[in-house]
Amino acid sequence: MRSARLALLALALLPAPVLAGANRGEDNVGPLPDEGPGYFGVVLDTDGRPVADARVSATYRDSPAMVTRSNAAGAYNLPGFNKRINADEVKISCAKPGYRQVRVVRRPAPKGQPVRAVETECRLQKS
Amino acid sequence: MLRYGQALSAHKSIYSLPVALAAREGLFRREGIDLRVVILVPGGAERMIHALHDDTVDVTHVATPFLVRAVLAGSDAAAIAAEFNDPIYSLVARPEIARIAELKGRIVGMADAGGSIAFSMRKLLALHGMRESDVRTKTIDGTPARLSCLRGGGCDAVPLGQPQDMLALSEGYRLLGTSNQAVPEYLYTVTAARRSWAAANADLAVRYARALAASFDMIRDPARRGVVVAAIVDITAVPPGIAERVLDLYAQPGRKALPLRGEINPDGVAQVIAFMAEAGQIQPPLPAAARFVDLSYLARAGVR
Repeated sequence: MRSARLALLALALLPAPVLAGANRGEDNVGPLPDEGPGYFGVVLDTDGRPVADARVSATYRDSPAMVTRSNAAGAYNLPGFNKRINADEVKISCAKPGYRQVRVVRRPAPKGQPVRAVETECRLQKS
Repeated sequence: MLRYGQALSAHKSIYSLPVALAAREGLFRREGIDLRVVILVPGGAERMIHALHDDTVDVTHVATPFLVRAVLAGSDAAAIAAEFNDPIYSLVARPEIARIAELKGRIVGMADAGGSIAFSMRKLLALHGMRESDVRTKTIDGTPARLSCLRGGGCDAVPLGQPQDMLALSEGYRLLGTSNQAVPEYLYTVTAARRSWAAANADLAVRYARALAASFDMIRDPARRGVVVAAIVDITAVPPGIAERVLDLYAQPGRKALPLRGEINPDGVAQVIAFMAEAGQIQPPLPAAARFVDLSYLARAGVR
């Protein structure tokens, strides 16, 4: 109990002009202050049909990879990395057992507007 | 290569420190491990063990109750090292709320109902004569999201980890209590792996345990304090002064928030099981803690 009181006291005495971290809860409160543009798009096969449950990864240099799965419509959505990084350097890739990735096409952002999200289409071919 | 699963809600929090520090300071490389951190989206603790089974990751960060639940549902996953024992979560409320009893009928933004944060908050409420049914809860995963809910007026009180609790207090919100007031010895988060994977990659699992042990040594080493503080600054985006205080809070002698070297305390696992039973999530006869851990890799890494 004594240590709990000490912890309480320590917390109460702490000043803190702090920025929140960049993680995001499932209640979708929106991007946090240091979060850059998100990444979204669709995974399709070579006939243009959506590929569900494909693993979609966003990687940036040595930063941790973000990984999600495409839904029944082939769609995916990933949060952004830190807003200080160049979104053009973020690589999107997709994979699914029995398929190989054949193409990744990034949709250009509207000119003259801040990039809020980056759309990328990923194509898989049955192997 | 070793793929380590990290929770979206944890990767920018203090709870990613042991592994993040080991990665930054080359402790995995020293053990010949090319560690790749994989953040699973969407988050959610159930997803962490699932990622072991669908081959997204080899080992994963997971909160112990979700490991227990997955094992009871048939997973062969087991804890191979401890990451955090006894976290400090602050129940922080709007400025006009001075006591826990005043939360009656108010909205509390709670973490996953089956997780350690919710367990500890229920205990804290009970300590003040309140039941969870006395408040209106909504589930919000992740401290930053809960802080957003508090600031936006959608929540009257929320449990917050560090450093966001410190930020909230500096903004005038009130501290009603901390999880440590209500929760004894515990095992909050672990590194888990499938037993089948670990058996087939035993040497890698041992080297992982050794690197993690070295990270805990570094966290407690006064000579490396600057390095650890810099890591906290980078991970959580707080100023160095706050990072130092967070480090003091967790690494002070006598506090059992962090394991000494990644060792797993079976009593902490038993406490998790007891909480889950209390919450009606598992039924007697209660399983033995040994069912959820494999201490052999820690032992071979020299961690007791």
